[in-house]
Amino acid sequence: MLKLGRREFADTDLLVMAIVNRTRDSFYDNGATFAEDKALDRVRQVVAEGADIVDVGGVKAGPGEEVDAAEEIRRTAGFVAKVRAEFPDVVISVDTWRAEVGREVCRAGADLLNDAWGGHDHGLAEVAAEHDAALVCAHTGGLAPRTPPHRMGYDDVVRAAIDDTVALAERAVSVGVRRDSVLIDPAHDFGKNTWHSLEITRRLDEMVATGWPVLVSLSRKDFVGEALDLPVGERLNGTLAATAVSAWHGARVYRAHDVAATRQVLDMVATIRGSRGPVRVVRGLA
Amino acid sequence: MIRAVAVCPQPPLLFRELAGTQDAAEDLRTACRRAVSQVLTPTPDAVTVIGGDERTAVWDAALAPAPGDFGGPAGGGLDGLPLSLGVGRRLLEEAGWAGPFELRGVAWDASREEVEELGEELVSREDDVVLLVLGEGSARRGDKAPGYVDDRAFDYDAETGRALAEGDPAALLAQDARLAHELMAGGRAAFQVMAAAVRAQGTPPRAAVGYSDDPFGVMYVVATWRM
Repeated sequence: MLKLGRREFADTDLLVMAIVNRTRDSFYDNGATFAEDKALDRVRQVVAEGADIVDVGGVKAGPGEEVDAAEEIRRTAGFVAKVRAEFPDVVISVDTWRAEVGREVCRAGADLLNDAWGGHDHGLAEVAAEHDAALVCAHTGGLAPRTPPHRMGYDDVVRAAIDDTVALAERAVSVGVRRDSVLIDPAHDFGKNTWHSLEITRRLDEMVATGWPVLVSLSRKDFVGEALDLPVGERLNGTLAATAVSAWHGARVYRAHDVAATRQVLDMVATIRGSRGPVRVVRGLA
Repeated sequence: MIRAVAVCPQPPLLFRELAGTQDAAEDLRTACRRAVSQVLTPTPDAVTVIGGDERTAVWDAALAPAPGDFGGPAGGGLDGLPLSLGVGRRLLEEAGWAGPFELRGVAWDASREEVEELGEELVSREDDVVLLVLGEGSARRGDKAPGYVDDRAFDYDAETGRALAEGDPAALLAQDARLAHELMAGGRAAFQVMAAAVRAQGTPPRAAVGYSDDPFGVMYVVATWRM
């Protein structure tokens, strides 16, 4: 069982986490949902498309315009409250590395703290514990937030990702986060080049075998772009291929821009694996 | 005596197997290969490879480069050379160098005294030596650069480029170590060891630049000096 704040999910459920960025400069949506009304429209859209979780982010993952904690809170906390008011049952996640921001958004109704920067702020796990929220533990190879990887090498990137995320997960549990509320994330492309991200994907079963539920954030990332030599706007097919492989390996949560497509891919893989039944079967049986 | 110097950058991209089926670094690779071939003619007695690393040390010439740390079809990592020396070693292999060579790492933060001392050591050899120096300019040259953008990078790199193009060791020695560090200009220490050696030897170099560009936000210069 996976408990994300107010909702519980079976271990065979594959969940879509819809990206809703409250930024001006994120790599794919480039400010499309910076304005609050546009952002709320997107939440309505993704919920209708089958998103289980809405992931609200106030700071671009890469380098760029400085966004301090106060500005980040301004972009996220009030919005979380509005989403909570309109959608009492949707799981609300906030993509932040800052404990200070985590605290405000949990007060506003967030269920999950999606820490993409691997415990950079040690206090974030405590905030999750305090508010009975869930937590994502990510592997970044030690990089500070918003730093691109520069010539990072690993003996075994999968081993490194497992060791670091499991250590973060154990620590989170030790400070009071519920064991069934912790996810691990290899964080494709964070502190990793394309070769590393490909290997992480190829060997994702090893991460799943740890027993911790795995979250993957693949959507339109550079490892897809470099594999296929395609710009951001043309990476959906490659993303869905990586999604299907990850689902086959057993990842649980999929952070995505394209919710409807991702939902279909996950449903198909789950049906192939046998954890989901085909919906309406007639052909050959009539 | 130092007969010639080749300066090449040290990105992992110079390991061909890492750059993808289309070779993202083809032009740079060609320029580096050309520079290394040029300085190996006429055939020197030995080659000394100099590159930046965590510490100053001479490395076992039997060790292999370790491109696997960065991924690639071979995957996995091996205990191997630090990146700069690994790239140098690979360039020598590709040039068909089968003669003696030495691998010298110099600490990224080596002091002025240290680089002078290392330079003196290089000049004290009596045989004909070619230096293969690995290093580059700033990695902070744009929005998409690995180190994002720092406006000071452009002047710093212009000065490095000028010094390499004009065979000016004093100018390289004058570059500020702290600024180089802030700008992620990885070649500072290795360039300064080379510059100290050339200046101590006293023969003014005839310099040529084969490549000077920042296709990925890191300043790469390929140059040769002949003494």
